[in-house]
Amino acid sequence: MAAVIWAAFHWAPLAAGFKGESSRILFFHVPMAWVSFVAFMTAGVQSARYLFGSRTPQDAQLDRSAAAAVEIGLVFATLATVTGAIWARIMWGSYWNWDPRQSGIVVVLLYYAAYEALRQAIADEEVRARLSAAYGVLGLVVSPFLYFVLPRLGFSLHPEPVINAQGKMEVEARMLTVLLASSSGFTVLFYWMHSLRCRLGAIAARRLEEEN
Amino acid sequence: MSSNWAAEAAAVFAKDWRCELRTRHAVATLALFAVTTLVVASLVLGPVGNEPARAAQIVPVLVWLILLFAAASGLPRAFVHEEESRTAIALRLAGRPSAVFAGKLAHVVTLVAALEAIVAPLAVVLFDLRVADGFAFAAALGAGGLAIAAATTLLPAIVAQGRGASTLFAVIALPVLLPALALAVAASRAALVGIAGGDELTLLLLYDGAVVVAGFLLFPAIWNP
Repeated sequence: MAAVIWAAFHWAPLAAGFKGESSRILFFHVPMAWVSFVAFMTAGVQSARYLFGSRTPQDAQLDRSAAAAVEIGLVFATLATVTGAIWARIMWGSYWNWDPRQSGIVVVLLYYAAYEALRQAIADEEVRARLSAAYGVLGLVVSPFLYFVLPRLGFSLHPEPVINAQGKMEVEARMLTVLLASSSGFTVLFYWMHSLRCRLGAIAARRLEEEN
Repeated sequence: MSSNWAAEAAAVFAKDWRCELRTRHAVATLALFAVTTLVVASLVLGPVGNEPARAAQIVPVLVWLILLFAAASGLPRAFVHEEESRTAIALRLAGRPSAVFAGKLAHVVTLVAALEAIVAPLAVVLFDLRVADGFAFAAALGAGGLAIAAATTLLPAIVAQGRGASTLFAVIALPVLLPALALAVAASRAALVGIAGGDELTLLLLYDGAVVVAGFLLFPAIWNP
């Protein structure tokens, strides 16, 4: 990660058509958006495993894993929104432009914030796990519309995603190297944070059990 | 199994309509809410239909927001009421989860269609709209209505088992419905001005299919404690 940060500022060239050094934010903004996607998909898959898998004592672990993925996903989605807004201020002149892609990520944020609200509203552990898992799986169904369909409605100023609709890569080789390294680094960071959060959740659950 | 299943679903559908006709909750609140909001909007805006481009910008957004809020304010009550009056247990015993879901969904679909049958013609009259492609407009209403109905059948079943059901419903339903609403507005807008809006309609139907299938898959897990 340290190498990626150094490379992002010193090794990778600047992108053409971007103001000043603003294109460097790309090496953090894109991986953050990517990790939020990975996190929410992980939450959806763990929720599906909880709902449709056979009942085992490890079920509570799956529930904690889905909840942890959503929590971390929310952090990364917020960071992606903030870095995107900073970049938009430099390039487009204002932090918020209601660009379809900006709106898309805000709705994703709202969806998973609602997931957290749902968890808070249910006291019983088993009921909470079951209902939030159902909402998590519904996220798998709805989020493709939020990530891919909503941004297509209306004209977007947002630069083409790295791999665009024509399947062409339009990035200079050194930039692509840093971008891919950064994305992998952030993905590993996500799984590390996720495993820490899950272990913490397991310890808290065990303590609660011992107290009762 | 199929005839039994259909009979169970039909029984749930008939029961819900019978309850509805006894209390006239939907008729009294949903329709009146929709009509009142529409009248207020038309008073303020006036006959925007004189300027088709402006009307196409404003009216679909208003109509879909009114439909959404009318549906969100009244429809979730069905499941919440079942839990509160403890009839949910009887319903769990009486039918298979998928049949209960199908019956409830059919009930909500007919309610939303009835609501649209009041709101859409009234909007055309009050705003003095000229609909360029009536068939596409009706298709957009149908597909958007199905999306609202599917979400307002599945999600109340989730919130009914939590605290503060009605507030929670708004929080969890709006992000689910937002893509459908954006697509429905785009499709109705295209129908109003008469340009091809096939893409939006196809995507909306895809959304409907995805949420209905997800409903049938998820409902048994939500419904059975």
